Amino acid sequence: MIARPATMIPLILSSILIPLTLAMAFWWTAEDIDQGLSQKIFYFHVPIALTSYVAFGFGAVSAAMYLWRRTEVWDLRSYVGVHSGTIFGTLVLLTGPIWAKASWGVWWNWGDRQINVFLILFLYYCAYFMLRFSLDEGERRRTASAVFALLGVGLIPLSFLAVRIAETLIHPTVFSSSGAAMPNSFLLTFLVGFAGMLSLMALLISVELRGKRTAARVLELQRAARGEDA
Amino acid sequence: MIAAALSIARVKFVLEIRRREVIFAMLLFIAATIVIVHFALSGDAGAGNRAAAGMLWAAVVFTAVLGLQRTFAAEQEEGALDALLLAPIDRAAIWIGAALAQFGFLIVVQLVAVPIWWLLFFQNGGPSLPTVLIALVLADLGIALVGTLAAALALGARTRDVLLPVLVLPLVIPIVLAGVTATYGAFGEEVGGLRPLGFLALYDLVFVALAWGTSEHLLGD
Repeated sequence: MIARPATMIPLILSSILIPLTLAMAFWWTAEDIDQGLSQKIFYFHVPIALTSYVAFGFGAVSAAMYLWRRTEVWDLRSYVGVHSGTIFGTLVLLTGPIWAKASWGVWWNWGDRQINVFLILFLYYCAYFMLRFSLDEGERRRTASAVFALLGVGLIPLSFLAVRIAETLIHPTVFSSSGAAMPNSFLLTFLVGFAGMLSLMALLISVELRGKRTAARVLELQRAARGEDA
Repeated sequence: MIAAALSIARVKFVLEIRRREVIFAMLLFIAATIVIVHFALSGDAGAGNRAAAGMLWAAVVFTAVLGLQRTFAAEQEEGALDALLLAPIDRAAIWIGAALAQFGFLIVVQLVAVPIWWLLFFQNGGPSLPTVLIALVLADLGIALVGTLAAALALGARTRDVLLPVLVLPLVIPIVLAGVTATYGAFGEEVGGLRPLGFLALYDLVFVALAWGTSEHLLGD
């Protein structure tokens, strides 16, 4: 197996940056006054959530490229993007409740805007797989998947708006996310964590793409060996 | 293009009036859903305005999904879809026509269901009716647009009937959020004002634009 830069660079980066985030989170940054130790999950939860959005974005952009160019590789990229977005999304929905339980005392806080929007988006992109795998392989499946992946781009801002509008109804925002006024050490650790997760995503995408391409190539060779048209 | 869309919608309506396949089922379904949600929430009349508003919207959305199952079904079973696709009309016209028909079905169903809902829950004064009606019309339009789009995507899928609700429901969560907020606001509570209605209009616009842009890919080849 020849190591390609598209796989090697993210592999090296993620295997340095993710342990580094851990180290920075526990030995370098100070303990948060309000939340104490539980705040440390912030350096993972938030980067994972952002990475998941990036992966869904990659899937949607690739879907648009597919509809424009009609080459199979963009369909594969779009699928792999949505797939890794869902993997990171699952992690968000696992780490989120842990943090919520530790700092707010509940596993799920329906008043938190981000997690509600995320839940809608996660449900939506899970349906992507049902759609894709109940259509037969071919042009039709690629097109339908691409259109569905693209519609998610409209759904994200609309969900944000809808949740904001309904917030007055659900309940007033009591908790504000640990936002603007972060000390520099917090911000830097967060950024390192984000870079680490992004490279992990790039690694997952490139490995899965290679696997998919190899599978397609094997199928082609098998057909050729049986004497059918490749 | 608009003429083509309108005539497709008209054909679907005439067919529905002759066969009565969808609207009756939707009517029974919406009534059953309201009753089930009512008993699930409390079972007595004291559940309050919030619960009544939620009941209406849950029932509307699930009923719409039921109706969507038959979009394109007649065309597909009798091979008319191929003829439509071959016809010298814009693909968007087929989708808009189907969406308009769906919108019409929803309106017809609600013409019966909303008065019943009103009688059941608001004998002593209810929400301001114009707000609720405007919200319903805007939401119906959005549900019809998005749902027809999803039905077009699911065309030819092996598990079409199970697939459609899974595709549509996440897409209409924002509609439910805004619809419930608007309805609750119509009781005179200070929630959101006109913003939910504006949001519903915006939702319709966004998905018209998105679907229009992708409509040439929608119905397959």
